[in-house]
Amino acid sequence: MSFGLELRKVKRTGFLPAFLGGGILAAAVPVLNMAFRSEIYVGINAAPVNILLNANWQIMSMFNILLVVVGACIMYNTEYAEGAIQKMCTLPTKESTMFFGKIAVLIAVSILLLLIETISVFGCSVHWFEVSADLYMETLKSFGFFLLLMLPTVFCALLIASLSKNMWIGLGIGVMCVFAATMIPSQNFVLTLFPFALPFQTLENHTADVIRNYAAAGAVETVLIALLEIMILKVRRSFE
Amino acid sequence: MNIIETQNLTKSYGKFTAVSEINLHVPKGTVYGFLGPNGAGKSTAMKMFLGLTKPTGGAFVINGKQFPGDRVQILKEVGSFIEAPAFYGNLTGEENLDIIRRILGLPKSSVSEALEIVGLTQYRKRLAKKYSLGMKQRLGLAGALIGKPPILILDEPTNGLDPVGIHEIRALIRSLPQQFECTVFVSSHLLSEIELMADNIGILNHGRLLFEGTLDTLKSSAASMGYPTDNLEDTFFALIDADNRQRGGVR
Repeated sequence: MSFGLELRKVKRTGFLPAFLGGGILAAAVPVLNMAFRSEIYVGINAAPVNILLNANWQIMSMFNILLVVVGACIMYNTEYAEGAIQKMCTLPTKESTMFFGKIAVLIAVSILLLLIETISVFGCSVHWFEVSADLYMETLKSFGFFLLLMLPTVFCALLIASLSKNMWIGLGIGVMCVFAATMIPSQNFVLTLFPFALPFQTLENHTADVIRNYAAAGAVETVLIALLEIMILKVRRSFE
Repeated sequence: MNIIETQNLTKSYGKFTAVSEINLHVPKGTVYGFLGPNGAGKSTAMKMFLGLTKPTGGAFVINGKQFPGDRVQILKEVGSFIEAPAFYGNLTGEENLDIIRRILGLPKSSVSEALEIVGLTQYRKRLAKKYSLGMKQRLGLAGALIGKPPILILDEPTNGLDPVGIHEIRALIRSLPQQFECTVFVSSHLLSEIELMADNIGILNHGRLLFEGTLDTLKSSAASMGYPTDNLEDTFFALIDADNRQRGGVR
């Protein structure tokens, strides 16, 4: 029920068009890259998905993270702008339920985003490269990995958005986190665990052990951020 | 039987005490007027009843249920309107009420009923952010009245309404105990307004409860203390003024 409610709340806010438009824009990156300079990539001796993601994923994931940050701010702005959150808190529901409902919506639109991008990468592979038997599996695995590493970002962006009544503060902090993440060297495992830096990682650039470590770190971060939000919600009431 | 009872209910923010050890007794099926000047602690007390802020001392019982253990149960039975109308500006009046309806698990018809009660039926499809202040106030009231809860907590519900609107809402509040068998706990800083609605009143000043009882009891006790009783407004001011002087000139 919470998912449906949270989806209703973002009606007419531009939330869904933003994700749809952003997804199409991010999906256009590999298409345009290949359309204008395919000669750089077609000769490389590697799996097509690997080549395409190495060439385009940094910019695509940046789009994704920015969209998640903007989406989180839009969601909480509807709550704070006219004080609706206060009304919600006087109803027989928990504020944490609302938070997790928003998480579910943000994950759903992130899946939509990744799906559009996956179709684009798959289409580019088919159009510009020779299709191998494991292309489907490779693409799906990459999609799953991106989704898993996107979870801490989704949780963290919503946590930040939930903290401030002024949307611009949440948005400012979120954007700063995104730019800080782009400056983190991708070789340093510990630094790349920053929630906003995780989605930049690709499956193809790491060994099985490192992938396992990233997956575990992503899951742990997600749980920790969720627990932190629950704690904040409990403590905040004492100061209001 | 009292539907709301507090025992030494207190809320402090650091050294400042917003509500100080108040003991309220709200009888079931009545309109209880909670009166006090701005900043007296009325809204803070109401927020505590709704779990919006945690008491720093004391306790309260609503319809036999204790806070914080029975918070969700209490909120199921309480319709509220606190400080200012709270709504989703991007949704229509009807959609706003539909969200509340879904959370409360009420039938679809409850939305149109609530809109009808507050006179917003013809504006139900308009975005809430485009409502006038009076219409927003009515939407807030509809959000409190939806599902006809047994207890209503209304914080200055006539703020922002024009004289006709004030009269309508007053008449509505007055009729609620008979119409829906509910108890209304309503705050105001205007005695003249409370006088027209309430069966019992509680007067709060600087977080302390100065008086609780019926208007007749207020008159008789004010007379015994030598305060003017011809006009209830004067009685109220005299009570507040005496308390302020006793507290060392704090206003």
